[in-house]
Amino acid sequence: MKENDARDRESGHKWEVQLRKGCLELVILAVLWDGKLYGLEILRRLEDDSDLVVSEGTVYPLLSRLKALGLLKSEWVESEGGHPRKYYALTADGKQRAREMAAVWARFAGSMSKLVDPLAKGK
Amino acid sequence: MNMQSEAQQKIDTYLKKLNEGLRGIKEADAREIVEELRSHIVEKASVGGELTIEGVDSALILLGNPKELASQYQTDDLLSRAEASRSPIRILESLFRWASLSIAGVFVLVGSLLGYFFGVLLILLALLKPIHPQTAGLWATRDSTGDLMVSIRLGFGEIPEGARDVLGWWIVPLGLLVGVGLVLLTTKFATWCVGQYRRSRIMPLRGRGKQFCFAERQGGREGS
Repeated sequence: MKENDARDRESGHKWEVQLRKGCLELVILAVLWDGKLYGLEILRRLEDDSDLVVSEGTVYPLLSRLKALGLLKSEWVESEGGHPRKYYALTADGKQRAREMAAVWARFAGSMSKLVDPLAKGK
Repeated sequence: MNMQSEAQQKIDTYLKKLNEGLRGIKEADAREIVEELRSHIVEKASVGGELTIEGVDSALILLGNPKELASQYQTDDLLSRAEASRSPIRILESLFRWASLSIAGVFVLVGSLLGYFFGVLLILLALLKPIHPQTAGLWATRDSTGDLMVSIRLGFGEIPEGARDVLGWWIVPLGLLVGVGLVLLTTKFATWCVGQYRRSRIMPLRGRGKQFCFAERQGGREGS
């Protein structure tokens, strides 16, 4: 019985990880919507919301992939502290993609909420 | 001052390991990756403009194993180079990597290996026919139950008893044509699949190309 519980918790955790992972690109595009940010700033923005915390080793390769796909552009800017920072911003393609993904997300989340809200309220 | 240089040394060691893992990536790109992470570590580990050893340690732990970090960059880089590449070696190299990430990659890898294998075999056959005119070629035999069997022979060894050379000298132009065609087609197929996969790593959208759904295992660091 106890074993079953542990297994359920384990698969529940895996499911949550997959769910977050599937949203990661949209999270990055959305966080850059208001303007350019550098890696650490992106991470700090996400840390403000514990549901969106992302590991640092994931974000940097992802930024580089999004740039290779033409969704982001980057530039180096010298900081006051003297060390350079790599800032990322959305390209026109990136903005377009972010809008499309946001629309898909909103539709999906709406349908899901309608379906599962009664479950969450425990009716 | 001593603390500072010790902290600095820790950063350098980490970045050196990372850089080693980035081998194969264009030098300018690799340098940019290393500099971006250096900037991250320095800013994260500094208190009032001074590096602290504890700060560096915790920043490095959060970034994770440098080899694993490098391998995430490698996957993306290999896929993007493979898509633009026409070299079967480079394509196969990236297919092996893809196969280690998802089951779809395994299928594409096996398909491409078969395509390249038969393509190269046919080209070889066409080239060896003039050297072994008596024995190289496509040989047809009937076995005891009367089923027709065709075997490809490069001309090393005996031909089976009662076998018939199906194409004769036609194997030279046909082998070259079909062999080269097969290699080109396999390349086209593989790069197309890689391109689909690469883009699908960003959330696939409805009505836009095929919906690939790959279960990825990125070095098993999902848990973090």
